[in-house]
Amino acid sequence: MGTFIQQVVNGLTVGGIYALIALGYTMVYGVMRLINFAHGDLCILGAFVGLSLLTGAAGSGHPGAALLLLAFVVSIIAIAVAGVVLERIAYRPLRKADRLAAVVSALGASLMIENGIMLVWGPQVHVFPAGLLPATTWHFAGATISFVQVMIILASLVLMAALYAFVNHTRFGTAIRAAAIDQDAARLMGINVNRVITSVFIIGPGLGAIGGLFIGIYYREAYFTMGWTYGLYAFIAAILGGIGNIPGAMLGGVLLGLFNAFAAGYVSSSWQDAITFGLLIAILLVRPSGLLGERVAEKV
Amino acid sequence: MRRITIGAGAGFGVALGLLGATGVARAAAPIRIGVQAPITGTYADEGQGIERAVKLLAAEQNAKGGLLGRKIEVKICDDQGEAAQAAICARQLVNDHVIAVIGSYTSGAALAAQPIYARADVIQTSDGTSNELLKHGYRTWFGNAAPNSAEAKFTAHYLVDVRHFGKIAVLTDHSSFATGLADAVVADVKADHGDVIDKSFINAGSQNFSPVLTKLKAMHPDVLYFSGYYSDGGLIRAQMVQLGMKAAFVGGDANQNVAFAKIAGPAAAGSVIINVPAPADLPYPVAKTFVAAYKAKYGALPPSVFTLTNADGMRAVMQAIAATKSVKPAKLEAYLHGMKSFQGLTGTFAWNAKGERTGSPFVAFEVQKDGSYRILYPAPTAG
Repeated sequence: MGTFIQQVVNGLTVGGIYALIALGYTMVYGVMRLINFAHGDLCILGAFVGLSLLTGAAGSGHPGAALLLLAFVVSIIAIAVAGVVLERIAYRPLRKADRLAAVVSALGASLMIENGIMLVWGPQVHVFPAGLLPATTWHFAGATISFVQVMIILASLVLMAALYAFVNHTRFGTAIRAAAIDQDAARLMGINVNRVITSVFIIGPGLGAIGGLFIGIYYREAYFTMGWTYGLYAFIAAILGGIGNIPGAMLGGVLLGLFNAFAAGYVSSSWQDAITFGLLIAILLVRPSGLLGERVAEKV
Repeated sequence: MRRITIGAGAGFGVALGLLGATGVARAAAPIRIGVQAPITGTYADEGQGIERAVKLLAAEQNAKGGLLGRKIEVKICDDQGEAAQAAICARQLVNDHVIAVIGSYTSGAALAAQPIYARADVIQTSDGTSNELLKHGYRTWFGNAAPNSAEAKFTAHYLVDVRHFGKIAVLTDHSSFATGLADAVVADVKADHGDVIDKSFINAGSQNFSPVLTKLKAMHPDVLYFSGYYSDGGLIRAQMVQLGMKAAFVGGDANQNVAFAKIAGPAAAGSVIINVPAPADLPYPVAKTFVAAYKAKYGALPPSVFTLTNADGMRAVMQAIAATKSVKPAKLEAYLHGMKSFQGLTGTFAWNAKGERTGSPFVAFEVQKDGSYRILYPAPTAG
């Protein structure tokens, strides 16, 4: 029983991170029908920005929690700006172009950010400073849960609930949903679609920066190719839940984390990814548009 | 300025040596030892390390009066690390009437030269570890580096016989290096009657190792052996402690990197890593003396441990000459094959009938709180 609870905690922690990153894929897709392949790299860029701030301030005598909060704020702002710039440079000029052109542009942007991180920070493994957060752990029924894990799980849930409320219960959220259904009609209704798109490129990368920094704090290491690994997982989580569908990305992320934990823990560690993705294919065969269905906005 | 003085001094010494060799008729002819090494090319620093080590040992011995009352003369040939050039070097050194050749660095260059030395009955000692080098069973061949299988053998011996771990769990990534090492360790642990309770896999770089560690924790292993790389190893150690796993951590050679301790953080202390120590970290007094002399003479540390294994080849040959009071190849070869144990710079070893090194240079060291290493086994001894 202890082992089972432990695996659930393991799965929920990484699942929460996958979900935060998956939201960026799904929101951009929902509004623009574009897979932003650079999203994973933006998230890891967030981790590196936070890392620089934390190592720069290490030993300055300020409490770890305050530094961490500052790192989150700076990193969110930096990555949101990077997201907006990315949209202006790489995607806006191609908005009327063929879909394939935008995909190639996204892949190019991904490589540019990844290699940019390598040039600025270097190719080696970077380590986050220790002792920023209390090393408290709780034990129950044979499972061990750390402070960081609780923080990640709770923060992911709160952020996802807040995003859900924002999109469904505010005027601007309604505008986002309208632009997702039909951009031309939304424009005719007086919605500034460009502002909607910009906002999507602020919210998605902003959440991604939080996810990236969570990875850094949880594992305490960062390297420049990480964006590809996490981007892939989060992209798959978005597909699993139904791409374009915000609650779908949340569900997909959490399920993917749990699948992975159970596959490694109960079936076979050497086939971990094969089992996880096999399950994914099986689900998509039954529900081709994901668990909660693609483009939920149409149902509103 | 100091550099120039030393250079001039060395030149003067060489000139004196030449004078001594030609001018003094009654002095016995020198004992010639060859060096076949990649002095230029890709492995130039390794080749130059071998050349410098052999010259240093010869100079030290000559300062003590040489061997059997004769001076040692070193003949160098640059094989550029290439097979074709290696064969040319071998013929050249044989024509120079060397009794033994130290080197080469690469297995390929050693292999190309091997039959030439064997036919001429010239001792060849090299760090090459390719199995091809043992195929013909040449009496003249003496490999001075531990074979590739030695790390697994040492690891199994350490886990089963030294630490007496009951339940051993093995963890590896999917790379051919790590799976090869893990499989060899599992086989050797079984041969030592140890109990491998599980072999699991991680995806290198995936960071999320808690699921597989949670599974292993439920099996209550006494030790977790990880054959992969430091970036994952440090994280595995950290996540083991986070999950409250009591098992000890033993890592393969690829875990030796300063980043291991940084990534594992407070969890790093007490982890054990198995590897050949770097030249500066060798625990044996003979090694410390040699490395200090090398650094004093050349102003740098030996480029790698293979400089020292080749130096061990040279030292063994000199010991054989002194012990048998002979330079006859058959006598020297019989002595080298028959040595029970030789205190090398890289640990004690001997040679089996095929000329393969037995006795490994591997050590188990413990990561300390400050990230430094302390050798646990074999306990450093005098000698």
